[in-house]
Order: sequence, then C-alpha cells, then structure tokens
Amino acid sequence: MESSLELTTSLPGTYPPLRSRIFKIIVIGDSGVGKTCLTYRFCAGKFPDKTEATIGVDFREKVIEIDGEKIKVQLWDTAGQERFRKSMVQHYYRNVHAVVFVYDVTNAASFRSLPAWIEECRQHSLGQEVPRILVGNKCDLRHALQVSTELAQKFADSHSMPLFETSAKNPDDNDHVEAIFMTVAHKLKSQKPLVLSQPPGATGALPLRKSEEEERSWSCSC
Amino acid sequence: MSLKKSKSIGASSPLNGIGKQDGDSRRRRKMAEISQALGASPADVAALRRMAISEGGLLSDEIRCQVWPKLLNMHTDHLPEKPAADLRENHKDYHQVLLDVRRSLRRFPPGMPDDQREGLQEELIDIILHVLDRNPQLHYYQGYHDIVVTFLLVLGERLATVLVEKLSTHHLRDFMDPTMDNTKHILNYLMPIIERVNPEVHDFMQQAEVGTIFALSWLITWFGHVLSDFRHVVRLYDFFLACHPLMPIYFAAVIVLHREEEVLDCECDMASVHHLLSQIPQDLPYETLISRAGDLFVQFPPSELAREAAQQNSQQTAASTFKDFELASAQQKPDSVLRRRRRERVPPQAQAQAMVVARPRAKRLVRLAVMGLTVALGAAALAVVNTALEWAPKLDFQLFP
Ligand SMILES: Nc1nc2c(ncn2[C@@H]2O[C@H](COP(=O)(O)OP(=O)(O)O)[C@@H](O)[C@H]2O)c(=O)[nH]1
Ligand SMILES: [Mg+2]
Repeated sequence: MESSLELTTSLPGTYPPLRSRIFKIIVIGDSGVGKTCLTYRFCAGKFPDKTEATIGVDFREKVIEIDGEKIKVQLWDTAGQERFRKSMVQHYYRNVHAVVFVYDVTNAASFRSLPAWIEECRQHSLGQEVPRILVGNKCDLRHALQVSTELAQKFADSHSMPLFETSAKNPDDNDHVEAIFMTVAHKLKSQKPLVLSQPPGATGALPLRKSEEEERSWSCSC
Repeated sequence: MSLKKSKSIGASSPLNGIGKQDGDSRRRRKMAEISQALGASPADVAALRRMAISEGGLLSDEIRCQVWPKLLNMHTDHLPEKPAADLRENHKDYHQVLLDVRRSLRRFPPGMPDDQREGLQEELIDIILHVLDRNPQLHYYQGYHDIVVTFLLVLGERLATVLVEKLSTHHLRDFMDPTMDNTKHILNYLMPIIERVNPEVHDFMQQAEVGTIFALSWLITWFGHVLSDFRHVVRLYDFFLACHPLMPIYFAAVIVLHREEEVLDCECDMASVHHLLSQIPQDLPYETLISRAGDLFVQFPPSELAREAAQQNSQQTAASTFKDFELASAQQKPDSVLRRRRRERVPPQAQAQAMVVARPRAKRLVRLAVMGLTVALGAAALAVVNTALEWAPKLDFQLFP
C-alpha cells in the first residue's frame, strides 16, 4: 500500500511521450499553510483526508496537456520548519522553473514570513526572472481571516507577483487550485498572455487585479 | 494506569514469514529465552539485544514494555509523575509540535475511537514538551513526533516519557541539534554503503543526482513516518534499540539495494529516482532486510566509512556526531563481565571470516560474503559481533586488524 499522499496522475489512457517537457515547480511557505494539501489537490484532484507533516521534500507530479502538448508538471513540496531549510532543501532548488509562495489567510505570521521566503529564493539565485506566484490559502475560513486581500495584493505588487486567494479544501471550488497551477504552466510554456481559466461561478476564487508591473511580466506585448 | 491501558493499543508482531506450527514453537521458545534473560540478575542485556535483533524481534508489546527499557540501560522502578501541562503556552516549539501532532492521525490504529485518539494526542504533546523542557540542548524536529508516538502506543505515557528522554539524548541526539548538519552527515553514509555492495546502483544514483533526502524521513523517524503497518514499525524499533545509532542508515541502504532492479530500470533523473525511492513498498521482507543490515554493519562498520562520508559534501562536517556516539556507547556499555562472556562465544572461525569479508575493496565478493556471514554465524552470533563492535570500540581492533 502506498502512502496516500504520494501519487502521480496522468491523463487517462495516455502516456507522455518520452521527451515530454518537464516543468519543475517548488512550493514554499511556513509550516501548516497548506502546501501539501494544495499540491495534493492539484495532482489528485481532491483534498487529502489525512495530511501529515512533510519531512524534507515530497514530490508529486501530474501530466497536463496544453495546446496538444503533454507536459509533466513536477511539484516539490517542501518542509516548512526552519531547520530543514538550511542544509536539506537546497538541493531541490536546482533547475526550478517556477516558485509558488504560500501563506495562510487565517495566519498573519505566515504572511509576515514571506519576505524571508523570498530571500531564501534569492539566495538560491531564483530572482524575478523566474515566474513566481503568491497563493493565500484557506479562504474557506472566512470568519478567521487575518490577512486582507488588499494587504496581500500590495505585497504581491511590490514583488511583481500575481496573487491568488484560494482554498485547497473548499469543495465548492474544485477547479481553482488546478487553475492556479495551470496558469503557471501556461506561463512557462508560452510566455504568452495568460488565459486564467476560471471555473464558472467560482466566486471566492477571484481573478485578482494585477499590478501594472506584474501585468508586464506575465504577458507579452502583443 | 496508562501503562496497562496502552498495552492493548499497539499491535503485537507475529513472527513473519515462517510456517504456523514451526512458528508457534519457535515463538514459544523465544519467549522462554526472553523471560530467562529478563529474570537473570542482573538482566542479561546481551541476550536481550540478540532477541531484539533476531527473527521476529521482541514478539509482543508486553515484552517490549519490559525489554525496551533494558536495551536503553534504564531502571524503571520510579517513574516520574505526569508532566505538568503548563509547559504548553510558553514553549518555543509548542506551535510546531501542536501542528504536527494534530495532523498525525495516520499514526494511530485505524478504528480507534476519536476521543481515545485525541487523549493520546494530548499525551503525545505533553511528552514531547516535557522532554524538550528538561533538555534545552535538544531541538524539536518534524518527525520527532512520529518516533514518540510509537513509544506512547507501546509503553503508555509514563514509561514512554522516560524512554524517549533517554533515546533523545542518545540515539536521536544528532537529529536534535540546533541545525541539521549532523543529520546530513549521517545521511552521507548512505551512498558509501550502497557503493560497497552494488557499485552499479551507486553510480546510477550519483548520475541521477538524486541526493539522499528521500531517506531523511526514514532516518529521523526510524521509518515510523513511512510504514503504515504498526507491527513493522515496532519490529524495526526492536532492532534499532538494540543496535548502534547508525543502524537505521544501514537499513535504509539495504532497502535501496533490495530494490536495485527497480532503481536501474528507472529514468535516470533526480525526480524519477527520488519519487521511486521515497515510496517504500509496504511488503518488504523485513526479517531478511534486518539481517542484511546487520551483516553490512559488521562488514563495513561506520569507522571504515567515516572518511568517505565526510567527503560526500565539501562542507565541513561536525565531529560531534562521533563524540556523541562514543558518549552514548560509554554510557550504555554493558559491564565488562558481559562483554568478556560475549567475546568468548564468538567462535574463532567466525572471527576469521569476519576479517576476510571485511576487506574494504573486495566489492565483487560482497554479495556472496553477505550470505556467508548470515548463514555461518546466524543472527545471534551476528548480534554478538555487532554489539561487540558497537559498544566496545577496542574490540573493533581485534576483529578487524
Ligand atoms: N480549512 C482549511 N484547512 C486547510 C486548507 N489547506 C490545508 N488545511 C489544513 O491545514 C493543515 C496543514 O496543511 P498542510 O497541507 O499539511 O500544510 P503544510 O505544512 O504547508 O504542508 C492541515 O490540517 C490541513 O487539513 C484549506 O484550504 N482550508
Ligand atoms: Mg507539508
């Protein structure tokens, strides 16, 4: 029996051609913000019923199709505890194509940690040229909100990242997490204007306003 | 009393992999031997170590309650009172501990009523904070809770508290440093062990640049985080408690080697190999692997691998690892009478054989030699050699000139 959190999904009945492209995305942020749930949601299409602390680095992947091309999206889900970062996680920063920063909208401390996470990336020479996005998770817990969209948007703007607020758990909103990762994949594939495939009626899942600067970095001039 | 209550919680391990009748009689014989060793005055710790290592391990959680403390050289006549709950709010690691314990549902037997599980989770938090509070040099790491929960389920809260504290200052000491440098250093033993046994697998993994993080959770949780059958977990804990603190990394190597074909069939890149290896098959032949790990430990003791391990990364490695291990050995060293007795039991030809197989560069012979050692010496003798090496470094010189 395999650990229920480890899995690879591919499109039914298909197998990626040998040389299918690989997009390697690293997911970082404080412990408990929901990195494991988000990556699991994307790869397995559901919220895991039992998550566990991530020790070191977990790997999940999913084969997606964009414009007829099959692409392997590899998600590296990292441990949030500080002590793992210094000597353990470095190895996994190599050849990363994109970075997903996660905070918990119900936990202001996880938001305040973001500059440190951005700095960690910078130290691994992942700067602005690497696509980065900011994800505020646990939007289903509206009553416990500690980080306003406005504040988060300001922060995202100042770092030229798009912001997404979402919930790995919220069952009304199954596709949104998928849409976020697909956005990154599209960006990586084409560097063309993003088509943010919002599921119809996804109200909590906001296509958030993008800053001008960020608009430039995420779209081409055509 | 929590001790009694908890005895029924953990599952007992049957002797795996042997026919029922044969197994029953062997099991009975082993139980008799264990109670004899326990009844001796002082308890025959060397014999208990052999029992913990040899096939089937310590058989049941009742026995574990009695033997595990002995393996850690502990007296358990006076157990401390239940730790105070007021440690909670002010401890720096409280939030991390809480977060990790809350989402540790999978460590509890399926079917356990929620309120019972929640009670145990509270106890788990208390034990962890109690040990951390009394030992400010120890630092919580994610995964520590996976170790502590195993002790809690087998021993109950009070006994678990004292054993975990001892273990944390010995076997787990390196994982609990302020940084994980020593943990990384221990992981650096993995590739040299693999190289000795199967250079092809070693080279393949090097080429894939897979690193060793796939084995991190194995090492620092003693496999508690990755094995879903509790019986397998406690069986391994029997083994590790009876052995040198580096034994888990030998066991990790043995698992990789066991899967050599899968590894070599894998795409040679970091993600594929990491993905393959980090998912432990749940139907491993544990008894075989345990005896192989013991064999490898004897053939390639840590002292022999130390230099290569240090070269695995250019970073300066901390020597305190070995100071700690020496300290651990010194403090737990069985008394010299026992040591002498055990030395006498090693047959001379076994010593000679051990010497032959221990040649570091005889790579191609290794697989044959492994079989030879297991068959010729048997697990009991293996344990003798093992513990001799482990607890009495001077014997090392005699066995491996
Ligand atoms: N309500 C709610 N809880 C979530 C959500 N995502 C994760 N969680 C919970 O938050 C806790 C930590 O999640 P996890 O994915 O393990 O966090 P990680 O440490 O960042 O990997 C778990 O108990 C999850 O069940 C979410 O979107 N909504
Ligand atoms: Mg996680």
